[in-house]
Amino acid sequence: MLFSIVFFFSDNQIRFVKAALWYYGYDRPELYRLPSDGSAGSRELLLAFSWLLHRISLLEQLLARNRVKTGDETSVCTCEDGLPNSLKGTTEKAPEHGLEGGVDVRYLQWLNGRLRFQWRSLHAQHEEQCKLLHKIHLFTSGSHVDQILGHFSVTETDLVRQPENYKQLLQLLESETMQLEAFLEWKQLEPVYWQWMETVLDNMAEEGNTCESQDARVEGSGLPKVASCCPWADSLTGQIDKLSRDLTTLREQLHKLTTRRKAAWCEKVKTREEELQKEGFSATARKIQESVELKLLDLTYLCAPPQKRMHGSHRLVFRNKHPASKMGFGRSVSKEPVSAVSATEVIRELQMTEASLERELKQLQEECRQRLDEVAEGLDGVICISP
Amino acid sequence: MNPQSLGLRQTAATGALPPLYSQPSRPRRAGGRGPCCLRLAAGGESGTGQRERGRAEGSGAGRAADGAGPCRSAAALLAALGKGAERRRELEQRAARSWALLRCWSSKEEEQLQPEAGSSNGQENKPSPKELEELELLNRALEKVLKVRKSILKTPLEAQGATGEKSAGEGPAPKNAEKQQVPVPVEDVPMSTKVRAVSKRPASLKKPSPYQLKAPYRTDPEVKKLQRKALSRCVSRGPRTAGKSSSKGVVCKQRRSPTRAVSASDREVCAPAEPQKAPGSSRSALNAQQSFSIEDSVGEKNSVAAGRQLLDAGKKSCGFLGESSKKENPTAEGALGRSTSPRRVTLQEKGCQLKLPLPYRKAYFRNSRAWERCRLCQTSADAAAARNRFIERIQTTFCSPRPAFSPAEVEEELKVLQDVLSLLSQYMEAEFADHPTLQREYESLLTLEGLQTTVSQCLRKLQLLQAGVEAQRRLHPDCAVDGGSCFPACVPSRGQMCDTAGMLAVPLLCYSSFQELRDLFALKLQVSMLHQEIALQKVMMAELLPVLEAWPCPEASAVQLYRAVYTQLCEGGKRFPVLMRDELAD
Repeated sequence: MLFSIVFFFSDNQIRFVKAALWYYGYDRPELYRLPSDGSAGSRELLLAFSWLLHRISLLEQLLARNRVKTGDETSVCTCEDGLPNSLKGTTEKAPEHGLEGGVDVRYLQWLNGRLRFQWRSLHAQHEEQCKLLHKIHLFTSGSHVDQILGHFSVTETDLVRQPENYKQLLQLLESETMQLEAFLEWKQLEPVYWQWMETVLDNMAEEGNTCESQDARVEGSGLPKVASCCPWADSLTGQIDKLSRDLTTLREQLHKLTTRRKAAWCEKVKTREEELQKEGFSATARKIQESVELKLLDLTYLCAPPQKRMHGSHRLVFRNKHPASKMGFGRSVSKEPVSAVSATEVIRELQMTEASLERELKQLQEECRQRLDEVAEGLDGVICISP
Repeated sequence: MNPQSLGLRQTAATGALPPLYSQPSRPRRAGGRGPCCLRLAAGGESGTGQRERGRAEGSGAGRAADGAGPCRSAAALLAALGKGAERRRELEQRAARSWALLRCWSSKEEEQLQPEAGSSNGQENKPSPKELEELELLNRALEKVLKVRKSILKTPLEAQGATGEKSAGEGPAPKNAEKQQVPVPVEDVPMSTKVRAVSKRPASLKKPSPYQLKAPYRTDPEVKKLQRKALSRCVSRGPRTAGKSSSKGVVCKQRRSPTRAVSASDREVCAPAEPQKAPGSSRSALNAQQSFSIEDSVGEKNSVAAGRQLLDAGKKSCGFLGESSKKENPTAEGALGRSTSPRRVTLQEKGCQLKLPLPYRKAYFRNSRAWERCRLCQTSADAAAARNRFIERIQTTFCSPRPAFSPAEVEEELKVLQDVLSLLSQYMEAEFADHPTLQREYESLLTLEGLQTTVSQCLRKLQLLQAGVEAQRRLHPDCAVDGGSCFPACVPSRGQMCDTAGMLAVPLLCYSSFQELRDLFALKLQVSMLHQEIALQKVMMAELLPVLEAWPCPEASAVQLYRAVYTQLCEGGKRFPVLMRDELAD
């Protein structure tokens, strides 16, 4: 047995596991019928685990996510930022200041001002950080034994200077190496594992047929017919609605623009039809058609997954625009030992995200403006002129 | 336009505003010497008078509408501040480490000289007494200014100059030189925007000559005129960079040697809130240490870069007042490296000859070879066959009919569609331009039609997704977990699952220039900030709007609350609307 799994379950953990499995599309009813105290169902769990192993490439993901970081790591996605609980901070309790009964709006303004100031300082700090990083990368170019990297990271530079501080890093590296070797062993034994899983499934099917089939017929799917509430579904419905509204608006705008353009086009073409035929416009038209299709290929490609999205933390590497110059990629890069993402791509994605977020913020502000305009009408004798 | 013709009038003199929302019997808080306590949705008041009860009812309505407790905005803001402070601390640590590497490669003693006070302790939850004092000064100064303006407005000739000065003087405070007609109860203006710029007002009022010097906005490179220069710079930048730079949001840099001739465009020091003493003190502090020093502004400490002009302050969105030329920096760095001590070795010199220690090198090699082997290791055919058999069989036991999309897939598709929407918008914007030639027009037409098809496809897809969501809602297990919090954020797409080898490859992010790196980080920060802003906006909308909308009987003093809320919700706290009393109706 490669793994010795010891199960200690708490109620929350069980619910978490069920939710996670549901999230990835595991629809086996027996699992969800398991009691919440962990007293039964270790085989169901084993089946679920095996399914998940395959479904999300669990082992590879774990290895990749827990990779020992020796470089200057930065994430290439902004997934964490969009989490709804990003605002739940360490200070869950209400601030002590003046809250016997209310919140002074000036206090909120003050806090907001401080927050904006803080962001500016963060900007400055980040700039400084970039400068320092870049310098270190520049100065240590050519030193790294790994030619793909080419230069040291801050950690590695510090390691050269003060090796005694980094004993733990070494240990982590070595334990990771052992994990990787265990993974290789697992790959060898994989067939055995899956065959074993099939036998487990067989056994359970046999047992299940005798006793559980009645319950199944009674309950139907076995899963609760109407969940009490599903916040995930609510949130997603909200997102879908919003997206649908945006798309509908876009469609209307496009429609207007197209009709206008078409009318203009027809006008133009009417008078010049013969002339165009002489020039062989139809051939040109075909070429234009092809080029437009190419241009829109981006879109269709996007619409059809699988789409490779970049995620997770990557190591920053400085590479001049002329690679393979002095560094010389000696090793054959037949299968690309690195998955290198260029900063340009990331920047482009970030710009798109930024634009859409700004749009969203402006929409929210516009909504507030409308509602406040209504309030203003109720205010006696005061006119509000927006800046 | 003479303001008086519109029948404008300041809504209140100082000190006489009735409290808007709280009970008058309640002891005043420290922050509210003025009576303008704009309180929201008070809870648990034991009202004594009819009026209070009336208000309480109104507040009850407001509270019910928001449903989430009155302090949620404040708590959210504080949480955001806390997170920001954490990030700053992290960054400071990392920066300290990098500094150590760059500066004192060979000697380790110099590290202790780094002042420990680099940590910011701006964690107070309320303004400090000092700030409140400054606020008092501010109020008085503003009153004086108003009096001056009143007298000036009497003569039309002077009015020209005065309004020019006035707008210059008030420039930093409302970012677009708008005259606040309801200005006097200053307490309801965010302190941080006022304290910095306007606290210079007392000083400048005493010295009329620098005050008038502001008009041509001359910048003075001399050291002694730091304060004035900073003042004029603050003011001159105010109207121009409206909405972006606030006079408070300036990180200051310090030149290393005051004797060095520096053009105003290169270096900038902005005097902090205390006009007279701060430049001197900051200068001396920085000169002493050549390292991080602290400036106390608005009760928060922000770190100031040291005398090594390695900071590039070109980013205008940071509110940096001034650009620094990057070209200077490498030479400065080299010069400094040489000038400090000829025997001290810097990373710059030794960098390319460094060697990793042997044990690490060995471990690193073993590790990377192991990764490579794992990456290249394929699933054997037997294993693949056995696995597929198992998966097929277990999926036959799933409840049927199976929904078209698993929740993970729904989210994934949704993200894809959101990206498509952005792209579509971009493409459409591109086609708004006029096209000179016939070919271009034809192309544009075809593009637009293509876009329309795509939009329809997306809408259809959305309907499918919605159906999928409903199907999943039915199947949702009875788990009362925090919706959304248990699901991982960074979920690789289905496509990536197949590419397990790609998962095991070394993930690298390659940048080709310092500019790229900078842009990358700036954008990431911007996206984070926007996410937070949106979340805060939603929280505040839910809390503040119902209060105003449920207002039973708006009084004159409700106006301030209205303006504050308007500023916060509609302008991001940066610009103020002008509220005018409609006297003509009389």
